[in-house]
Amino acid sequence: MSLAIEAVQVVKVFGSIHALDGLSFKVKPGEIFGLIGPNGAGKTTALRMVSTLLLPTSGMVKVFGLDIVDKAADVRKVITYLPEEAGAYRNLSGWEYLEFMARFNTNNRDEIRKIVGEAAEISGLGERLKDRAKTYSKGMKRRLLVARALMTKPKLAVLDEPTSGLDVLHSYHVREVIKRYVKECGVTILLSSHNMLEVEHLCDRVALLNKGKIVAEGKPQDLKTKFESENLEEVFAKVVGLA
Amino acid sequence: MLKGFMNILVKELKELIRDPKILLGIIIVPLIMFPVLGSIMSYSMQSAQEQAEKTILLVLNNDGGNLSKYFIEVLNYSAKVSVVNNVTLDEDVVLDLLSKHNTTQFIEIPEGFSINLTKHFSDPTVKAAVNFYGVFSGSGIFESIGSSMIDSLVYTFNRVVAPDAVYTEKSAIIRGKIKKGIDPAMLSNLMILQAIAMPITIMILLQLSMQIAATSVAMEKEAKTLETLLSLPTDRFAILMGKLAGSILVAAVGALTYMVGFNYYMSSFTAAIPTDISLDLVSLGLAPSLFGYVLLGISLFVTLLSALALAVIMSAFAEDVRGAQSLVGFIYPLIFIPSLLLMYLDVNTLPFALRIVMYAIPYTHPILASKAVTMGDYWTAVWGILYVTAFTLVIMYAASRLFATEKILTAKLKFKWLRRRKRKPAEEL
Repeated sequence: MSLAIEAVQVVKVFGSIHALDGLSFKVKPGEIFGLIGPNGAGKTTALRMVSTLLLPTSGMVKVFGLDIVDKAADVRKVITYLPEEAGAYRNLSGWEYLEFMARFNTNNRDEIRKIVGEAAEISGLGERLKDRAKTYSKGMKRRLLVARALMTKPKLAVLDEPTSGLDVLHSYHVREVIKRYVKECGVTILLSSHNMLEVEHLCDRVALLNKGKIVAEGKPQDLKTKFESENLEEVFAKVVGLA
Repeated sequence: MLKGFMNILVKELKELIRDPKILLGIIIVPLIMFPVLGSIMSYSMQSAQEQAEKTILLVLNNDGGNLSKYFIEVLNYSAKVSVVNNVTLDEDVVLDLLSKHNTTQFIEIPEGFSINLTKHFSDPTVKAAVNFYGVFSGSGIFESIGSSMIDSLVYTFNRVVAPDAVYTEKSAIIRGKIKKGIDPAMLSNLMILQAIAMPITIMILLQLSMQIAATSVAMEKEAKTLETLLSLPTDRFAILMGKLAGSILVAAVGALTYMVGFNYYMSSFTAAIPTDISLDLVSLGLAPSLFGYVLLGISLFVTLLSALALAVIMSAFAEDVRGAQSLVGFIYPLIFIPSLLLMYLDVNTLPFALRIVMYAIPYTHPILASKAVTMGDYWTAVWGILYVTAFTLVIMYAASRLFATEKILTAKLKFKWLRRRKRKPAEEL
């Protein structure tokens, strides 16, 4: 069985900045894999690359055996991408937004209704889905977008900071939805976060990213044991030599 | 059909139509613009009238009575009058006289003027007429001045003699032919509408459309919905076309609103044409023919498309809506300058180099087309359409390339002074 993601020696250069500097990692199907690290570590660049939005300067990335450069269109059929702090279309209602997105996957009305119904359940927004997105709070918007990313049951969902800026309750809801979806539908998740405590509870495996490189990788518990730390924050500090 | 095109298009329309800023732009602005335009034109006419009062007024006196002489004396207080007695109103004779006196208008005091005026004192229903004739050549704003000047002079005379004792019958001399009962001022006003209102309308329409397109892309970038769209299983060219088509349709509604306002404005002048006079505005060079309108529509459409595609490209270099609008603002001079210049000048009168520059700017062509088709010159419009179409194809190709690559997300205009101020972290690239 092919890997969900295989990244080999990926380099991405923007002008004089090396956003990714020889990044390599593998994600197995059905796994929740977290890229964690501080701002500017290269998490978003890596996620955008897996989502076919950016091309590698060198190196190779494959999603379910499909090269993201040569088979970009095919890759897009098996993934969904949730950008960090993304918005919805302000003048569309939540329901219209979900329908709009569902139509990219199917033209069958029944299927669209089923997909959107699923999203409505994931989001937990109920009647508020009839309101325009501009009336939503940040948490509601995020729940809508997470629902959008999961509703089509993609083989791989790429989630950039899925709980960024959310309060405890909204964060809890989003995390529970992700966990449940992976368990029930076998979706593979690649997510990024700089909230290492959250990732510790959510991810099967994590990679600690710093300056475009992976500095440590493994199960959260294994990393804590290996670096004799109480949490991933401490692990990270030790790995990059801050502690 | 491109996969996802209709889906994008419907979404675009919902997003654009529901934006209050866009509704304000395409509905409210036209309703304000035309009255303001009317006021400005009225002010200009007043200034021009003062200037015209200094010009010579030719009077053909076919009456010879004392009251006609008195009428001429009154005219002399306000205008420089040159009198010729007993002239037959033959077209050749009249044109010869106008040429000799270097003027384009005259007043005829017809036979019986003094008798009718005398009768008026005992029977107010009897009135004396004076006839005003003005040459209409479509040359400019001053053509309408003589007509309003004679109204003012007759009013002055009536105030001295008796209210409503004298009235004016106005006629236009068009292409050497006297057209009885048509006020040349009315024709001039129509001509001014063609010369000024069309460039203004086109200018605003282009500016508005570019703003809509640029805002649409920038909003997607700002809200990061563009990233989501680009990661979806759909043709990226369909995304571009859907966005452009949505903007075009909204712009078309805007164009329609403008045309309704424009037509209403036009009708206030054409209503002045007596219904019993058959006047072919097309043959007079005052209105385009149906074919002309079609060419004008095509010219406007391809120009609109090129402007929208250019706006999309420009906005791709911006990070947010404000940035996109600022960047698109750089294109506005290319719209404003030809529009304003061509309101008052004929492109053929410009120096050669400037003429080439004007022809190179695609936004010049619908304005040139609007003038050309009105005068029955269809080739100018056709060449313009071909040029703008070629330009549009190049821009569309560039836009589609931009959408097909990561440049749509990473392209940014970089200024040295900005780079010195701050350096973006890799995460935000």
